[in-house]
Amino acid sequence: MSQTQAAPEIEVTPGVAAPVAPVSSASVLPGHPQPLVPIPLRKVSGRRPSERRPRILMTTEGTYPYAVGGVSSWCDLVIGGLPEFDWQILPIMAGDRRLSPIFELPTHAKMAGQIELWSEGLPRRRLVARRERAAEECLPAKLMRALISWEGSYEDLLEALLWCRRRPDALRRAFRRGRAWGQFIEALEEVLGENHPDAGVAPTLDAVEAARLYQTIYWIARAAGTPTPETDLLHVTAAGWAAIPALVHKQLHGTDMLLTEHGVYVREAYLAAARSPSSQGERFLSSRLARGLSRAAYTAADFVSPVTEANATWERGLGVDPKKIRVIQNGIDAPESYTAPPGNLKVVSVGRIDPLKDVQTMLRVAVEVGRRVPEARFEYWGPPTKGQETYARACEELARQLGAERHFKFMGSTKDPQGVVRDADVVLMTSISEGMPMSILEAMAQARPVVATAVGGVPEVLRGCGIVPPPGDVHGLATGVVTLLRNPQLAARLGERGFARVHRFYTRAACLDGYRDLLGELTSAAMGSA
Amino acid sequence: MSDESQGSQYATGVIQARLGRGAQDVLEAAVVLEAWGGMRATAALSLGSRVVPPKAPGWIPGRFTTEESGRRDSILTEALALIMAILAVASWAGPLSHQVGTSTLEQAIVIALPLTLGLQWALRSRYLSRRSGLACLANDRMIVCALGLLVIEVPLVLLHSYGPLAGMFVAIWVGGTVLARRGWALAYGLLLVGAVVGLRQDVSAYPLLEGLTAVIVVGAVVGVITGGGRSDEPAGRVGRALWAGAIGLALGGLLVGDSSLGWGVHGAFPALALLPSVLGSFWGGYYLWKFYDAVPRGLQGVGLERANERDARGAAMSILLGALLRLLVTTVVLSGVVIGLSQWTSGTNRLSLFVGFGCVALVTMLVNLLESLAFARWAFLAALASVTTELILSKLVLAHSALPGTALIAGTLVGIVVALPPLLRLLMRPGRVLATSLWIQ
Repeated sequence: MSQTQAAPEIEVTPGVAAPVAPVSSASVLPGHPQPLVPIPLRKVSGRRPSERRPRILMTTEGTYPYAVGGVSSWCDLVIGGLPEFDWQILPIMAGDRRLSPIFELPTHAKMAGQIELWSEGLPRRRLVARRERAAEECLPAKLMRALISWEGSYEDLLEALLWCRRRPDALRRAFRRGRAWGQFIEALEEVLGENHPDAGVAPTLDAVEAARLYQTIYWIARAAGTPTPETDLLHVTAAGWAAIPALVHKQLHGTDMLLTEHGVYVREAYLAAARSPSSQGERFLSSRLARGLSRAAYTAADFVSPVTEANATWERGLGVDPKKIRVIQNGIDAPESYTAPPGNLKVVSVGRIDPLKDVQTMLRVAVEVGRRVPEARFEYWGPPTKGQETYARACEELARQLGAERHFKFMGSTKDPQGVVRDADVVLMTSISEGMPMSILEAMAQARPVVATAVGGVPEVLRGCGIVPPPGDVHGLATGVVTLLRNPQLAARLGERGFARVHRFYTRAACLDGYRDLLGELTSAAMGSA
Repeated sequence: MSDESQGSQYATGVIQARLGRGAQDVLEAAVVLEAWGGMRATAALSLGSRVVPPKAPGWIPGRFTTEESGRRDSILTEALALIMAILAVASWAGPLSHQVGTSTLEQAIVIALPLTLGLQWALRSRYLSRRSGLACLANDRMIVCALGLLVIEVPLVLLHSYGPLAGMFVAIWVGGTVLARRGWALAYGLLLVGAVVGLRQDVSAYPLLEGLTAVIVVGAVVGVITGGGRSDEPAGRVGRALWAGAIGLALGGLLVGDSSLGWGVHGAFPALALLPSVLGSFWGGYYLWKFYDAVPRGLQGVGLERANERDARGAAMSILLGALLRLLVTTVVLSGVVIGLSQWTSGTNRLSLFVGFGCVALVTMLVNLLESLAFARWAFLAALASVTTELILSKLVLAHSALPGTALIAGTLVGIVVALPPLLRLLMRPGRVLATSLWIQ
């Protein structure tokens, strides 16, 4: 799908970035002063007879098919539920370990390779007679400037990423050049000295933090250098690393790009950085990098399909053209009937152990509920997120310190989340960031009342069938849980309303219909123009 | 005070309370206010720069932490295995040359030593230097065994009389590296001592070594299968392992390229003469592994303006000098001890030999450092230049030199000249070496 701007069509020559037109917008909010939208491109490759099945290249980041979680479940649902498309999956994963897929791909889906970050693998060498020494030496600085600067240039980013795709075998050499490091440091000093009211004042960085950024930028270049297969549509599942190969592919072939956001990537990155114990410099760089990647993804996307209106609000605030946004809510396979709550005073939570889930607040809620309803029992089902094992240990330690162990148990993973929810009287969620949590939909589908923090799409989903205190409000959350435990009639009524609401708005079929329409529209446009 | 101003003050207070500092930028302010301040995203975003402090936060340099690496352990075990192998060669030399003939033994050692070093370097690069090295090796055990058998052992067995003996040496020494990595160095040592006793008791050499080879190979296979456990750590790059193997091969060639050394001819010598420099080399090499930790640690708190500056007293140069010092002191002191034991050194107990082996240790360390910084080609070039010079001098120019080890010394000096300048150029800039070499390989 092309942009609606009245701009001349241009033909894309590999290796040359297309001009990008700034769009003036009165609604642009701080942080994204001047969104950039690429001029429509005429497709020059990837043409196939229109009778063939439409192909979609889905890029994922740390999720499907190698990890469990909400995004992976969503990918599985969409791919499995839409067999009329040929799906190609390109996951981006940390390459420090061998991975086995957790999800089995259906017959109409196949892997299109994978991008292993921080691995030892190298791209295949190619015989190139001429070395582009100058281009190699300025590549790291150019990429860094485009991604870290508050007003980094999308054109420059694309130009650099396209160079990476053309010369993947030169990337290691480029980044190992002493002059490249020198130029990178000079550029970084300039970026840190930028003066923009919204950007605040950058912290002082040291050489180690700069070297870490240099390494990260190298892996961005490597991700851009990975080849992508011919496709009719690019479906990016997060506005971060997953967008990198798609940005390059779109620029090379003019293929449309759809971005589905479950959370809001940049928001979650800022939240994670704000809570992390790392240095000021590391926090600054990680959040700025996420912002740079998100800006690029939003600019390149022809459509953005958040899973909840709450995300759409953020996306508009971050400068995404409202015309590009189409909310498609998640859905689940809800049972036709439900069982009554068991009356066992059990409160469950299903989700990964992650700072974004604010498990520590949940522990405090459990303690307060335990004071008021001593028979209440809390169960937390789910493993720690990879890389958050320290946080999980801190939660266990906090449980000991608070004396919550009598009421609260970490149960580990479950293969039967529906059964876990069915066996509870109340479902609790204390997240500080969510898109549209599947665990809440599952609770509603089992007719269980929910107490959840008012983040992301939660208030929208739970309208009239749950209790929604503000995030971090221990007293409010505990009061909600106690109210439901002490008043089974109210709990049952809320559960029934949730059940009805899921059947009305959040079914798997409705979700799939939404994607079928949008993907069909985008792929048929692509195939029709071929 | 206006509502707008009050709102900003409240927002700033919430951010300060939650983060213990001001917001980094407007996005962080909005995210914090929404997540913990109960504010809607649009309202939070609209506060804009009013909630961003105009001053930079005070500088608190980051803390650098490293994960425990298995690489230093692996170099220790490798050292242990190599030392045992050297002692075995020293002890076996007399009885073996008596049984199989001096020429056969010499040729077997000349073939086996480079092959062993090549295999050890390759195995270390791809598997044994990793935290889960044995598990990585276990994953590829079939292909490694098949390659070892087809590419090394079968051709050796088909060679002339010395081939089978060389094949057994290779299997015993390389197997010993694996056994040592498994933690079975003591058992390996006992097996070697048993073989020494057997040979001294005039047990027939071939059956004895065949038995020893079989036990060590089976032990190594069992060690790999039982010792690795499950690991999802991937093995190293094949290409890099091949380069490492080539470097090891060249360094092994350097040890045997000078015919004046007389491997197998002079009894326990020159194997025993090699021991001081090997110990020095491994101590220096062990110290060099601090690199991965000390270089970033030394750069903590170093501002960007100095991130690309020369620093001859920086962590990188200090570690190199520390390693060189350790190598030098150990080699000199232990060489003196070995020379002092005159009854062991009858034959070629010339000082030049010890100097030559000391130079080998030095060039090995430099080449090792280059390889570990992923300059494998340069490292190979240095090793190749050494061995080529040595061979040319040994065969053509110094064939009848009265001073043993002259060609070896000349060869290693060439290697040092090739390896040292690029290393110094790199290590003089610690920021650059961290960013471009240690963290991008």
